[in-house]
Amino acid sequence: MEKEHQEIEQPKAVRCCDLPSNCDANQTGSVEVPATISQDNPDAGELDCGIEDPFPCKGDDAAITSTNGLSEPQGAEGEGAPASALSDGTAGEADGLSKPEGAAADEDDPPENVSDSASTDNTLEDSNEFMVTVLARGGLEDQADGTPSALSEAGGPAQGPAPSHRDEDVTAESWRRHRKHVFVLSEAGKPIYSRYGNEEALSSTMGVMMALVSFVQSGDNTIRSIYSDEHTVVFVQQGPLVLVSVSCSRQSEQQLRSELLYVYRQIVSMLTQASITRIFERKKNYDLRRLLAGSEKILDGLLNLVDSDPSFLLSAVHCLPLASSLRDSLSQILQKAITPNLVFSILIAKNQLLTIVQEKTVIEDARLEPADLHLLLNLIGASSAFQAGEIWTPICLPLFNPDCYFYAYISYLDPPECTVCLLLLSTDKEAFYAVAECKRKIDEGMRTQNALRSIARAQSYSASQVGVSDLRHFMYKPFDVPDNHRQLTQFTSPEMEAPYSSEEERMRLLDLYRYLHSRIHSSSRPLKLIYHVAERETLLAWVTSKFELYTCFSPLVTKASAINAITKLLRWIKKEEDRLFIRNPPKYSTTPNPSKSSRGGKGGSDRQDTTDNGFLSLL
Amino acid sequence: MPEYAKMKKPDVKLVILGDMNVGKTSLLHRYMERKFKETISTVGGAFFLKQWGPYNISIWDTAGREQFHGLGSMYCRGAAAIILTYDVTNWQSLVELEDRFLSLTDTANSDCIFAVVGNKADLTDPEAGLKEEEEEEEGEEEGGEGEKAERPARPPPTPPSPVARRKVHREDAIALYGRILRYKMLDERASLPAEKMCFETSAKTGYNVDLLFETLFDMVLPSILKKRSGNDSPTVDLEECRGAKRTKAGCCS
Repeated sequence: MEKEHQEIEQPKAVRCCDLPSNCDANQTGSVEVPATISQDNPDAGELDCGIEDPFPCKGDDAAITSTNGLSEPQGAEGEGAPASALSDGTAGEADGLSKPEGAAADEDDPPENVSDSASTDNTLEDSNEFMVTVLARGGLEDQADGTPSALSEAGGPAQGPAPSHRDEDVTAESWRRHRKHVFVLSEAGKPIYSRYGNEEALSSTMGVMMALVSFVQSGDNTIRSIYSDEHTVVFVQQGPLVLVSVSCSRQSEQQLRSELLYVYRQIVSMLTQASITRIFERKKNYDLRRLLAGSEKILDGLLNLVDSDPSFLLSAVHCLPLASSLRDSLSQILQKAITPNLVFSILIAKNQLLTIVQEKTVIEDARLEPADLHLLLNLIGASSAFQAGEIWTPICLPLFNPDCYFYAYISYLDPPECTVCLLLLSTDKEAFYAVAECKRKIDEGMRTQNALRSIARAQSYSASQVGVSDLRHFMYKPFDVPDNHRQLTQFTSPEMEAPYSSEEERMRLLDLYRYLHSRIHSSSRPLKLIYHVAERETLLAWVTSKFELYTCFSPLVTKASAINAITKLLRWIKKEEDRLFIRNPPKYSTTPNPSKSSRGGKGGSDRQDTTDNGFLSLL
Repeated sequence: MPEYAKMKKPDVKLVILGDMNVGKTSLLHRYMERKFKETISTVGGAFFLKQWGPYNISIWDTAGREQFHGLGSMYCRGAAAIILTYDVTNWQSLVELEDRFLSLTDTANSDCIFAVVGNKADLTDPEAGLKEEEEEEEGEEEGGEGEKAERPARPPPTPPSPVARRKVHREDAIALYGRILRYKMLDERASLPAEKMCFETSAKTGYNVDLLFETLFDMVLPSILKKRSGNDSPTVDLEECRGAKRTKAGCCS
């Protein structure tokens, strides 16, 4: 295996979506396969190639692959004529069953033989081992022939909406059909989290994943991804944790990787990296779910947000447009309500940022990364069960300092509507009452200025307000807001309106954006400008040293008029930028009490202090 | 403004402890909002103020997850009453009270009152299951009429074999209460009797929930009065000191 990283393209052998059921079905020739070969799938495959629309929804069906392909005899179907296997599964299947010896599956086999997964399948008892060998070969052999996967038949006819419950049946077709699976496991192969279905039921699947990871690792290499025609499987290893995304969303590997990092960071935000490392140093097979129990919903919420909120894609924060005078007065209210060791005061409405005030020295040391803020926003969204109270909880901001905790005070200012949320971060674990006192001051300040009403009136805006016909939607992320480079990265975007008012349409537009984003940020061939004519809209993405812009026009727009529109749009944004962005984030100085302070983002000595008084020391 | 702040100053503190999923948040939610809601796992702790007559009672609803254990003693500091909650269908949840949570109460007031509460009684006790309050279980905000229409259609909330699922009996809780007193080195005869301090509740139906909270509130009143009359709070009030210092500095400058 060549460089430090290897990309394994393995159409057949490694259809990773297959893995799960593989394990579940105990590798003994699965029953369901013969019957289930669905005829539509070949079509779906063809359609996928459509140039216009990179994300035909029809592909979904095809994603269901009969899992057994790998370790099971039926895999053999693929052998002779992969293409035919698709259309005519039954014939192949009989074949497959009859040739168990093909398996051989030893590493020393000449790789060429292996190009056909079918020949290697059958005999191995232990599916893990089996997988590993196949994969290894997959890595070695060149896939130049590009044989289409023979195993992409759809499984059972499973229909109906998939229940997104933890107790979902992981052997069901609907489970396999999910657009994006995310798994988290420990290096010992212990399941920690699965987006769908119960981790416990998936322990053998996760075992296989770990086997893949460690096999490649044993060759001093790192597995990064596996591609099949419908699925992309991306592996991310972070310390003792392995995160795996199995996606048929057509997102780029890079995007999936960054999503997995969000998941990792959310876990760190609850436990800190230091304690995760410490726990696994002490006990390799520790069941991390003991500590994360109850947090699944936070991770579920995060993954849903990642899918539906472009902030994650753009790594930028979405601010609620607000007259700058109002925003300033809000900041001033926050600025006045301080207490020792308070480091961040954040106001949020409708899941968008209103304003943020930081402690002076913090602002010099480090800045709050958008990703950390996203995690906080997700935490707030996920913990709104009981909105009347005031919450006090430890939270780590992984990009700020992955090893220490802040203590977050979360409270809504407008119960019972609960739209305006105040978030105060302190470094002092005992500071609850002092911080709660700050909230009272803020409450008071808001009341005297009648700020809540003004906030309630604040609206996001509509693309039509820009006054450019044909412009349906856009996302604009400036790199230089404003003159201060230590700015929080922000972006602005209008409401998604008709025709993007339904959930599906919204997702479709986001998928298009994700596609453009992946092209622009492609590591091999980055682009600066894309004019993309899709089936139902035309998109234009443009990145310069000053901004990154994604626009969506009606399908009838011409290139010239689109460019013209963008000029107008940029002019409009320039005019409105005081309203759209937080221009000058204010600061305060809380002159932290030196004995107590544990400012993050500094040297190592600080870190040790803080991890020690972190509560995992009891472990 | 300072007046407003004063007004909200809590007079006494009550803490709810217990393992994950025993229904601590639901109990409090039932009491405060008069309805049952599917809650999600609490992060850290949540703080509430309850007006009880002329007094403000602060209630800490804590997270049962081990992950947040480190804050437990902070929540308990100076507590006048602690509600130790278990799930009547889960024996382990009672064991955890003794193993994990009892030690957190070390920072509570010396005269702290303990209540041992078995929640989810509706699952084991037909009476608790049936005694439904005026409010709807599923506490959906909208559609009052729709709910009414639905109500007759809903089967009575009697699980198939209620008593079979009971894992913790009242005697076990009473025994635990005795051990708590011993742990606290309190004289059993001088303390409140176990029969009065062991409750079985259902946040889902509201069974005994008001009784629990209101009994406790009444019991902590003497401690409020004591605190008000003599300034003999056993814990040092850091905030007060700090405030005092600051005003002094203000005078000098």
